[in-house]
Amino acid sequence: MTDYSLFLGCIVPNRYPGIESATKMVFNKLGVGLKDMLGASCCPAPGVVGSFSEETWLTVAARNLAIAEENHADVVTLCNGCFGTLFEANSTLKNEEEARKAVNMFLSKTGKRYKGSVEVHHFAKLIYEKHLDQVKQLGGQSLTGVKIAVHYGCHLLRPRTLKKIDNPEKPGFVDELVHSLGAESVDYRDKHMCCGAGGGVRSSNLEVALDMTREKLENIRASQADCILNVCAFCHLQFDRGQRELAEKMGLEYNIPVVHLSQLLGLAFGLNPRLLGLQAHAISTQPFLRKLAEVSSR
Amino acid sequence: MKGEPLKEPPKEPVKVGVFICHCGSNIAGTVDVKALAEFAGGLPGVEFSTHYVYLCSDPGQGLIKESVKRLGLNRVVVAACSPRMHEETFRRTVREAGLNPYLLEVANIREQCSWVHMNQKEAATEKAKALVAAAVVKSLYNEPLEPLTLGVEKSVLVVGGGVAGIQASIDLADQGFKVYLVEKQPSIGGHMAQLDKTFPTLDCSSCILTPKMVEASRHENIELLTYSEVKSVEGHVGSFEVTVLKKPRYIREDLCRACGICAEKCPIKVPSEFDMGLGERKAIYIPFPQAVPLKYTIDPAHCLYHTKGVCRVCEKFCPEKAVDFDQKPVEVKLKVGAIILATGYDLYDCSQKYEYGYGRYRNVITNLEFERMVSASGPTSGQIIRPSDRKSPRRVAFLQCVGSRDVNSNKYCSRICCMASVKQAHQVKEKDPSSDVVIFYTDLRCFGKGYEEFLERVQGEGIKVVRGRVAEVVEDASGNLRLRYENTYLGEVFEEEFDLVVLAAGLIPSDIKELRTILKLSTTPDGFLAEAHPKLRPVETFTEGIYVCGAAQGPKDIPDTVAQASAAASRASALLAEGMVSIEPITAEVDEDRCGGCGLCVQACFFNAIELEVKEGKRKAKVNQVLCKGCGVCGATCPSGAVKMRHFTDEQLRGEVEAILSTVRR
Amino acid sequence: MPDPVQEGRSETDETVFGEIVSRGRNLLKCIQCGACTGSCPSGRRTQLRVRRLMEKVLMGFEDMLNSDDLWLCTTCYVCFDRCPRDAQPTSVMKRLRNIAVRKGFMKPAHQKVARLFCETGHLVPINDEVKAVRKSLGLSELPPTVHSHPESLKELQILLDVTGFRRLIG
Repeated sequence: MTDYSLFLGCIVPNRYPGIESATKMVFNKLGVGLKDMLGASCCPAPGVVGSFSEETWLTVAARNLAIAEENHADVVTLCNGCFGTLFEANSTLKNEEEARKAVNMFLSKTGKRYKGSVEVHHFAKLIYEKHLDQVKQLGGQSLTGVKIAVHYGCHLLRPRTLKKIDNPEKPGFVDELVHSLGAESVDYRDKHMCCGAGGGVRSSNLEVALDMTREKLENIRASQADCILNVCAFCHLQFDRGQRELAEKMGLEYNIPVVHLSQLLGLAFGLNPRLLGLQAHAISTQPFLRKLAEVSSR
Repeated sequence: MKGEPLKEPPKEPVKVGVFICHCGSNIAGTVDVKALAEFAGGLPGVEFSTHYVYLCSDPGQGLIKESVKRLGLNRVVVAACSPRMHEETFRRTVREAGLNPYLLEVANIREQCSWVHMNQKEAATEKAKALVAAAVVKSLYNEPLEPLTLGVEKSVLVVGGGVAGIQASIDLADQGFKVYLVEKQPSIGGHMAQLDKTFPTLDCSSCILTPKMVEASRHENIELLTYSEVKSVEGHVGSFEVTVLKKPRYIREDLCRACGICAEKCPIKVPSEFDMGLGERKAIYIPFPQAVPLKYTIDPAHCLYHTKGVCRVCEKFCPEKAVDFDQKPVEVKLKVGAIILATGYDLYDCSQKYEYGYGRYRNVITNLEFERMVSASGPTSGQIIRPSDRKSPRRVAFLQCVGSRDVNSNKYCSRICCMASVKQAHQVKEKDPSSDVVIFYTDLRCFGKGYEEFLERVQGEGIKVVRGRVAEVVEDASGNLRLRYENTYLGEVFEEEFDLVVLAAGLIPSDIKELRTILKLSTTPDGFLAEAHPKLRPVETFTEGIYVCGAAQGPKDIPDTVAQASAAASRASALLAEGMVSIEPITAEVDEDRCGGCGLCVQACFFNAIELEVKEGKRKAKVNQVLCKGCGVCGATCPSGAVKMRHFTDEQLRGEVEAILSTVRR
Repeated sequence: MPDPVQEGRSETDETVFGEIVSRGRNLLKCIQCGACTGSCPSGRRTQLRVRRLMEKVLMGFEDMLNSDDLWLCTTCYVCFDRCPRDAQPTSVMKRLRNIAVRKGFMKPAHQKVARLFCETGHLVPINDEVKAVRKSLGLSELPPTVHSHPESLKELQILLDVTGFRRLIG
């Protein structure tokens, strides 16, 4: 059984622990072991800390990677931001000797050292690549009749030349996962577009971030999807909290439930929605759960 | 035999003359040529040693000739520039002096010495001494050699029947050479036949092409092999043995009158390749009305008889009884002296540029599809329409550089798309002056004769040009397209609606992987066929006797294609007119007494130039002097030392190494 | 419009242009086609014009360091992916931001969030409400991150010190 170091980041443990719990249960069902990364910090957020100082960003990322190295287990992330940081930092440190030396010099002040001995994975791609059959076994066709608007986010697939995971203009693997669960992945305008949260925009220019989210929500609403499915905790927060903020600040209501892929898989595997944290969202997931109940009873 | 000590020099007294060139200051500026000449004068076998400012010049060559004659020199060493520059020159000089040209040896003390050690004069001079010492030792063992002269077949194979192939064929045929024009489609004409009007004159493309097509078919020296492909090529320059496979049309070409009754009756409709899928043809078809030869062809992939064993309606109704379902492919064997590749281009697959929606959005088309639409004899009878509802578009956008100038697809510029779009934009405006036509470009390349003037005219007609590479295209419910772009001259972003989008798809080389393997042809990094020299030898390849022209060598317009086709014909005819070709005698030679018939050399040879033959019951290796390239692999492989590499024998190579070592260790 | 600094286009470390290009030379290949700006989801609703920013860097301008435009980019990387010359505009954007912060141009909201990071090790630290949710899900009240490992937080803070981050954010 291959174990992975579960990198939690910030938003999962500190805002949407349902994702953490869902992930643990889903991985357990898949027979995959997860190790805690004790003492891990913020990844650090690529568009925020990376915007202030690339050197600090690389060093803090290296520290997190070193923790996984101590676990002797590859990293798995639940957020595109964390994936973007850890994957890119790992790649830079592996390929650039100067950078690695400089970072290890800083790390030595804390008794840690980056060795380059682990890989970084995004949970969605990992599950698709290695556990698709099990997913079909455990949850195949359990979401039949449900329409899902998939949002890939940005740092999972881009930059394409570095990530080499799927074509960012026309990705397919999460849609395939959704399809394997029996649900319909609906097409919607500007599916590839950013949610608006990243790059420090949410913290310093919330109206701009929300306007992007609003545009996405308009397009998703037009597709008549039953929920927005994301693979990134930050997008999750932006769509979920963002809808509440849009309602409060601009009187715009969409009420589209937001579900993280770990939670969707949990639902498909028949796990208790409460243990997936679906009751703790800003936008009620009840309509989605009702629809699920309705189609499964047919 | 390997490991034997250096042989004694030949019995005939060898008298070496060493000539050191200054090459102006190119060599003399770094190497002490005077000291070098003095050093050379002291080497064993050297009778005469001197230096001169420009040996390749008339007086320089005169010096060599005069010294040879005066002193009875029988070996010449020239220490100068790279043999690639002037070995031929000095071989001629030596021949004029009465010696066999292969008694010349060149020491490269420029590219391999003075030019790369410009700041190290002493070391460079010492290195030059070593190089000269090596050349002198080699020259002691140089033997007179005679090149092989072979006859050249006075016929040419032209692969590809587009305008390039047609032009080259006519040029050669007019000179009296026999031409075999092979084309894989059922008709010649290529892409030019698909065009409506040509820029900048707006000539009707078919009108200017069809006379040439007819000439090619009627010319007594041109044999058309259409619906055919080259399957194998053996041999060498002057004598290529080509096998062409004629695919079966299932129609007797000698009987078919092209009356068209068969196509009328045929129940199967297929998207027409000639019309880029915008129109239809039948399973029995002529690709376009002006096809040459004007004969029907049955497409076995769609014909009901071929796929399901039923129908045969065409056969029933053909008044000439020309349908022959039993027709088989025919292998045609040809012997030609030269081959010209004119295989043309294909279009970049725009569906790869996902953000433009080609293949998903109905009203996004390519420039070639537009050509078929605007052609009076095309699938829409010359009407420019939106594929989704067949209505006339009011707002048409042209997007440039799709699949060109782009690290994500092809880095090169496809050269003709700017002009093609300017022309097509003009055509839209001409048919509907109230329409809005915009060309979105990064650069507008109007490089040719009359091109810039044409742009000016078209702008005057009201075509707008916006500098900004369109970022993405989004379709709405009506089938209209919204373009997102920045107008870079304004520095402002826009989302603008159009009802028809034409993509200027880039040019990619035709898929000729098989042919390239057969002919061992290289490509440049852009995928087009490699010319021998980008500036000075644009229509020759690295293989003697094989020429290239037209878009196969790189994207180009019709004038350049026709010019290059004539150029290739001219080069080929120079070869054929000579009637003879010289093969360099620097090849392998087998000592049959030493050969054990093990066959390792045969396995090692890349050029199929050595084989085993049975002589008096024993297997012996034999070299085909014509195919042998003198690469040396067999010589190195032979365990018995039976293979000698002429002009580069083991003794010579070892002698050179020893000379170098002993010089530097002085 | 200020005049471009005379030496602004030289590749020394003192110029913005020089510093950006020293971290990667891809920007030099930009042909100003505008595909980046056309693709930018932020540019559609703000004043951010990526292409223009790139040209300003290439031409030696430095005034953009003080502008809000720099901070309107969500680093979505669509421009990076689509650029036909691989000029990597997103990387240039981040480098510009680094220089701006170094020169003291940092938004208060970002300073706030950066300080949270220095204090807690998380940009988004936990609160009581979420602690309760964690508990109800059967998870540990505090996650196994720096939140529950004070010695790790200290380690992180040492790093933030030695890399100069604390000083940087003011």
